[in-house]
Amino acid sequence: MLVVAGLTGAGLYLAQRNAMANLQRDLQRDFQSDLTALHNVEELRYAALAERCGALVAKPRIHAALEDNALDLLYPSAKDELRDIMQDETNPQPDQISGVPHARFYRFLDRTGALLPPPNPAEVGLLRADEETQLALKPLPTTAQIGYLLRGGGTAEETIDEIIALPITSTETNEVIAALVIGFKPLEVVQKRGADEMKSGIWLNGWLHLPALLESARTVVDQEMSRRLAGPEKAETSSHLDIEGDPHLLFFKRLNPQSAFPAAYEVCVFPLKTAIARQRRLGWQILGAGALLLLVGFIASHLIAKRLSAPVAKLAIDSQENLARRKRVEAALASTHEELERSTRFSADASHQLKTPVTVLRAGIEELLRRENLDASVYDELSALHHQTYRLTGVIDDLLLLSRMDAGHVKIEFRPVNLSRLIEEWLDDLNALPDPLKLEVKTHLPSSLSISGEQRYTSLVLQNLLENARKYNRPGGRIHVTGREENGWIYLTVGNSGPPIPAEMKPYIFERFSRGANGEKIAGHGLGLNLARELVRLHGGELNLVSSDREWTEFEVRFRPAEKAGTNSERRT
Amino acid sequence: MRLALCFCAVLVSSLKFADAQASVEGRVELPKTRSAPLMTKRYEVVTTGGVLGINPPLAVVYLDGSFPKPASLPTKQVAQKDLAFVPTLLPVQVGTKVEFPNLEKDTYHNIFSYSPAKRFDLGRYRPDEKPVPSQIFDVAGLVTLRCDIHEHMRGLILVLGTPHFVTTDDSGHFRLSGLPSGHYTLKAWVDSRTTREQAVDLKSGSNIHVDFPATP
Repeated sequence: MLVVAGLTGAGLYLAQRNAMANLQRDLQRDFQSDLTALHNVEELRYAALAERCGALVAKPRIHAALEDNALDLLYPSAKDELRDIMQDETNPQPDQISGVPHARFYRFLDRTGALLPPPNPAEVGLLRADEETQLALKPLPTTAQIGYLLRGGGTAEETIDEIIALPITSTETNEVIAALVIGFKPLEVVQKRGADEMKSGIWLNGWLHLPALLESARTVVDQEMSRRLAGPEKAETSSHLDIEGDPHLLFFKRLNPQSAFPAAYEVCVFPLKTAIARQRRLGWQILGAGALLLLVGFIASHLIAKRLSAPVAKLAIDSQENLARRKRVEAALASTHEELERSTRFSADASHQLKTPVTVLRAGIEELLRRENLDASVYDELSALHHQTYRLTGVIDDLLLLSRMDAGHVKIEFRPVNLSRLIEEWLDDLNALPDPLKLEVKTHLPSSLSISGEQRYTSLVLQNLLENARKYNRPGGRIHVTGREENGWIYLTVGNSGPPIPAEMKPYIFERFSRGANGEKIAGHGLGLNLARELVRLHGGELNLVSSDREWTEFEVRFRPAEKAGTNSERRT
Repeated sequence: MRLALCFCAVLVSSLKFADAQASVEGRVELPKTRSAPLMTKRYEVVTTGGVLGINPPLAVVYLDGSFPKPASLPTKQVAQKDLAFVPTLLPVQVGTKVEFPNLEKDTYHNIFSYSPAKRFDLGRYRPDEKPVPSQIFDVAGLVTLRCDIHEHMRGLILVLGTPHFVTTDDSGHFRLSGLPSGHYTLKAWVDSRTTREQAVDLKSGSNIHVDFPATP
């Protein structure tokens, strides 16, 4: 809030300062453009005058007067030529004739630059003697010169006339032989705009001609001008000025740069009082509006914050609860994980610890069986015990694999596996075994059914399924193996004509150490289906019991098909 | 008797006149011309540093001194032809009347002069204006002729107090004859600033040679 207020205040201050600078710049620019316009008009005037004087000087009579030592005839000769330039009080004419303004007076300067006194001053514009002396230019300039002449200084009729000195060049020798000085009423400048505010005049030779200003104000401006011009000369500049306690802006610009006549300056005084008052008013308005805006914003933000904060508070409480719950769950998970680790480690350790004594046991029994003097009954007993050691090894192997799977140590290296061939091989092995059940085996497999998997685990799955189909069959029963590719999966179903799995057992058949109701009669340890399903799932597939009714029990396994490119590598192995 | 007296007087005067005959010839060294000779010879008045002269240069040689004023003088002419004065430089004796005929086809002229020796203004006039505008030049000095209509036109009339004068040819050669005997100053006007002079001792029947070299 404090920052916003501070920034607003700073912004306002800067805006005000900027506005002030803009005002000054605008005024300065207007002043400059007005002066530029004036200079352009003056240039046109000079051009017209120069042309006029060129023509005048080319007049044989003027030439004759100047060149043939007949200066007394100069003014009479010029009178006719300059008649239309001179202002005629008795017979007012349009202000300008062909771009040349009416002159108030004119004089000739001789070869040395001294004034040639007119024989009849009334005809060429009356001037006081001190005014006339200001017109002389020694030496004669070679180009047109602009100057200003104060007339009737200090009197009620005080005016400033603009004077232009035009060199007269001999048409034959190109020497400057004389000059014509013409005086005009200066062009009005800046009067059209802000006449009530902006006051303009001319500063000439330490004399300020600005009748609109009071005497005291004129003195101040006069002093300021003298002070500014005492320094290094500048063509144009502006400054701030205090006149009777009120701030003013002062612009001035030299009217006749590089002239041989005394320097004259256009001076403009612009009172800043009303501008500052206006600006101050504007500043207060902006400040008021800003404060109001700030207040409204504050209230609005307060309301919005309140509405926004309610759900946030609720969220905070919820998240606290969630955090507590999560911590509890995490703790439970950690302990479960620990238990799992422990049990996994235990089964792995157990398996390893068990494997050695079983091997020792088997070796001992085999040693006993090799004895020749054994009774037949003892031999049978020992043979049964020997067979049990294999069963124990199988259980231990399965447990070992399962514990490794539980610990996440089993990683499938996916390669194409030819399922058809695996089944054919297994069936070949089956045929080689003694078959007391006399089972009928049917296969319905595409020639090459390739899945993506690791062969040793895939064959373990098949072995378990097919072994179960054989083990749990009835004598003279059937085994039916079919394979198909469907919807981007490879399905393999293994059916057998064994007795049905009781309905209450069905949900548990894939659990460890679960066995069918008639399992007691059949060799097995209740780990096969669980192992098979875990392995299939590791392959990204699934193993399900499809059906089990009175005559037919069918399992279905699905695998991902091998990538087509991979079949070649598989074929090589 | 009266007749015889008259005859004698005429005789004496004619003899005296014949006795007084003397002549001068020579050469005035003229200023170097800057421009190449023109195909059609045409003189013009030029101003160089405020000095009026003729280009190509010509000089007027005259015998300075006081001579009795003759009862009548021949009328001279300065015509305007092809926007120029013809001749460009005319020496005349004080009191000579000069006519200014306009010989153009149909161009107006306004001949005037602001020269101190003679100020006049003939106003505008047509070709074949009758009577031909004229002026009598009764003060010695150099008169610049101008035309108010044609600013480039310049002519010079050199008004002399002597009846003995001659204009040189363009190589500067001159010959003055019929001069009275005696001590005189022979002058050569070259331009408005330059007049050279030589003292001459004229004897009746003599012919002397005087050169006016350029002053170094």
